[in-house]
Amino acid sequence: MNLTTQFFKFDNLSIFVAIFVGIFFLLITIYSVGFMRQKKNLIYYYSFLILTLLSSLGAVFSNNLILFMIFWGFLGLLLYLLIEFSQTENASYTAKKAFIIIGGTDALMLLGLALVWRLTGSLQMDEISISLNTKVAVLAYICLAAGAFAKAGAMPFHTWVPDTAQDAPTPVTAFLPASLDKLLGIYFLVRISLYMFKMSPALNTVLMMIGSFTIVAAVMMALIQHDLKRLLGYHAVSQVGYMVLGIGTGNPIGIAGGLFHMLNNTIYKSCLFLSGGAVEKEAGTTNLEKLGGFGKIMPITFTSFLIASLAISGIPPFNGFASKWMIYQGIIKTAGNGSHLWIIWLIAAMFGSALTLASFMKLIHAVFLGQPVNKQPLSNKILTKAEAMINKRRETSPTMWIPQVFLAGLCVIFGVFAYRIPLKMFIFPSLGEKIEFLGIWNASLATILIIVGIAVGIIIYLLGTITKARETEAFIGGEILEKQPNMRISGTEFYNTIKEITPLDAIYRLAERKVFDIYYLGSIITFGFNKILSYLHNGILPTYLSWCLLGMIILFYILLR
Amino acid sequence: MAMSNIIPLFVAISLLGAFIISIIGKRLKWLPDLIGSLTTLILLVLSLITVRIVATQGILVYNVGSWKLPIGIVLVLDGLTVFMLVTVNLIAFFVSIYSINYMERFTSKWKFYTLFLLMMAGMNGVVVTGDMFNLFVFLEIASVASYALVAFGTERHELEAAFKYTVMSTVGTLFILLGIVFLYSYTSTLNMADMANVLAQKGMSNIVVMVSILFIVGFGLKAALVPFHAWLPDAHPSAPAPISAMLSGVLIKSLGIYTLCRVFYNVIGINSSLSLVLMVLGTLSMVIGVFLAIGQWDFKRLLAYHSISQIGYVILGIGLGTPLGIIGGLFHLFNHSVFKALLFLNSGAVEYATGTRDLQKMGGLMTKMPITGTTTLIASMSIAGIPPFNGFWSKLIIIIAAVQANRLGYAFWAVLASILTLASFMKVMKYAFFGELRNKWSEVMEVPFFMKIAMVILALICVVGGVLFISNINEIFLKPASDVLLEGTKYADIVFKGIQ
Repeated sequence: MNLTTQFFKFDNLSIFVAIFVGIFFLLITIYSVGFMRQKKNLIYYYSFLILTLLSSLGAVFSNNLILFMIFWGFLGLLLYLLIEFSQTENASYTAKKAFIIIGGTDALMLLGLALVWRLTGSLQMDEISISLNTKVAVLAYICLAAGAFAKAGAMPFHTWVPDTAQDAPTPVTAFLPASLDKLLGIYFLVRISLYMFKMSPALNTVLMMIGSFTIVAAVMMALIQHDLKRLLGYHAVSQVGYMVLGIGTGNPIGIAGGLFHMLNNTIYKSCLFLSGGAVEKEAGTTNLEKLGGFGKIMPITFTSFLIASLAISGIPPFNGFASKWMIYQGIIKTAGNGSHLWIIWLIAAMFGSALTLASFMKLIHAVFLGQPVNKQPLSNKILTKAEAMINKRRETSPTMWIPQVFLAGLCVIFGVFAYRIPLKMFIFPSLGEKIEFLGIWNASLATILIIVGIAVGIIIYLLGTITKARETEAFIGGEILEKQPNMRISGTEFYNTIKEITPLDAIYRLAERKVFDIYYLGSIITFGFNKILSYLHNGILPTYLSWCLLGMIILFYILLR
Repeated sequence: MAMSNIIPLFVAISLLGAFIISIIGKRLKWLPDLIGSLTTLILLVLSLITVRIVATQGILVYNVGSWKLPIGIVLVLDGLTVFMLVTVNLIAFFVSIYSINYMERFTSKWKFYTLFLLMMAGMNGVVVTGDMFNLFVFLEIASVASYALVAFGTERHELEAAFKYTVMSTVGTLFILLGIVFLYSYTSTLNMADMANVLAQKGMSNIVVMVSILFIVGFGLKAALVPFHAWLPDAHPSAPAPISAMLSGVLIKSLGIYTLCRVFYNVIGINSSLSLVLMVLGTLSMVIGVFLAIGQWDFKRLLAYHSISQIGYVILGIGLGTPLGIIGGLFHLFNHSVFKALLFLNSGAVEYATGTRDLQKMGGLMTKMPITGTTTLIASMSIAGIPPFNGFWSKLIIIIAAVQANRLGYAFWAVLASILTLASFMKVMKYAFFGELRNKWSEVMEVPFFMKIAMVILALICVVGGVLFISNINEIFLKPASDVLLEGTKYADIVFKGIQ
């Protein structure tokens, strides 16, 4: 047998994923030149980036499951090392958590791999075709899917993503959890769900359930966050839900939608993180309450952030809408199976989309619009370092905004020319099936209509208000807010009411106590066992000797019975 | 038969080294270091030569004092012996290099090296001997030397640990002796090959089962299988770091696992209930060990509990009894020797630099001790089974073997233990090496040269350890070892053939 086909394969799906892995590597490297400038040990940083690129490509192209596991597992280690570049106490905690979750699910994948081998006697991915009618087969699928879920950040293995987003250096977040890990995780999910296993309706339903739950739960968590990067991190989880949902539909258009959404998500999510990082670099903080008014200072960053936010919220004509639209169609098509659950999935997906928009309204207001902090510092106060920074804020350096603008441009292009460029070039060839659309959605025509609509709106606005409008400082009760630093409205308060709605308040309180964090639960159980066992090891010699005796008696009983 | 003269050298050279050091080492300060490293280097080279010899000539047998089989003592060199010899002497060499700098903290280095080489003689002897009572003698030599080495620091807790270790280990030794006595009275021979023949003729009886149990308890105590493990978490951390590395790295394997394998596979003959007992004990050790390890804050104590857990993997693999399982178990034995020795050397380096073993007091040492930090990271990844380091391969093989043998439950526990192992080593990395550097460590320096070189080379072996499974190397190193176990009680015929 040819060695290349035994270990590597180059089909359309893997080539498509590999192309985007390469693109993101380039963009992040360019961005890192600006962002990581002051850090130490950059030689290691860049070599880890290159290693990440190589192992991702290796994972995507490998055809042998063990080879795949090597690249895949090594990526977890690289993520761990890259998060550590923040060199803060929190980052080392987060890195530990992320790697335990990812490495732990990798161990599960080993079990899955062993089961696959037992079922088929082969580890070559293109030779494997397992129908999910035995318990062992289902177990194997679940073990492998757990790895894909953890990598992509779907529930219940998602909790490392928001933490990583908050604590890791921003280019690392944009590179791994936001783009590469999504590409790889969903790639592998597609690989196992479409090629290696023959999906059963029951498992498809499970996938759709996980997907819908992820969408809604994560976006609800995102709504109440106070940290720019953490909020984006929860959206990174939420968006995975759409992809899982799309793949779970099991029909061509849904799967194509899931894949397309994976691609779109990596584009706009990286863009969001990179823009967020640019703000962080200028402001020195990602706390939403301390940000505000950056729209005027950093117009390029603002524009790309805005485009990406609209894309993630599924506003036409940006790319997020196109893929969500396909996923909706896929969900509606599952109605043909006779089950009425599709209504729930559809509502969850649309509701999630609406909430996404809501949380991005909050974000854009708090970061780019809103009032800047201490715009006019009191004259008799000595400027602190942070305040001194504010006064010389400016647009970020070109190495940092070029990747953002490029990604924002892709958001527009992939949305407007959805059918002609990304779908035709990447998605459909990688699935190799003819896909029919349900409704009519001519993106280009719609775009023209939208642009016309907006133009008309602007004309009406200008005609109607140009003479009457008056600009003034924001004020309450006659006091101009900006002169009263304590009276600032940061934009996060509006959403605090969500926390107080009756069924939600209890859930949020539990969530804040990490009750839904699989890592936290696992550690409680583990340390519980540890306590019991440590209690037994009391250091007294006769106790230990009596265990030996006990062990011997049991052995005698078993073997000489 | 000239080639077989190499076999007694493994014991003789170690004893010679110990003898020279004990006589003149006290006066010449530089001599113990030199003789110690030189002796272990010669042993390492010899053991590598034996790999080649056995690959080309097959099994070798040496008659001590020219007494013919089955009357005299024979020394046997087969695949499994060679495998163990390489493992033991490889670790011993790096440990003795490391000791050159590390043992400066202690007075009377010559006593350390004397005991160290005595322990080496015992371990090599256990591995090469083909005689049951001789095995017991070498076992005692190695054990007694290790009791003294555990107490080497002569502080309060070290003496306490050594006392516990001595008592429990002696209990184990007594059971082994009792087992040998019963076997001798049953078969009227002490030669292992002869014994296997007689046992095969007489068939199974209750007395053999009872001997099996005595051996499981005795060798299980040496190998620290749960529930016979309780001495290990006290003894291993209390010894000086190089000795901890030896104890966890090779002593429990040559005195415990090797002997278990040899006795059960080649002499008594494995059956399904024995193999089930081994698997259950292995799984218990694997899971209980890791649950105990994850809560520890003492660096070396954490590592000691992980030894229990990793020994469980080895025993599980070997207990499966399938070709793949045995290869996986032996491969894991080798890998564990390397990465656990390295981890103990790392913990010693941290203790050398900071004076503490408490993980909560460390932090951010990566910036000050990059080599120690990086090698610890590599060893941690190996023990946690992260690809592409060596531990990944052996764990993968053990898990696949367990699934293949239709033991899904055991495979599941192996995976769970692997996850928890990863978690506890993440804890080590976080608290010791990553995070923010504490002020009181701002003056910390990287360890001296010989300590560094030993750690770096062991780390390199961890990185490239996976190649051992590539067919050519596997064919001359791992495969012959597992073949010895697979051929079971045919061992006797082969030994008799080897004697001619």
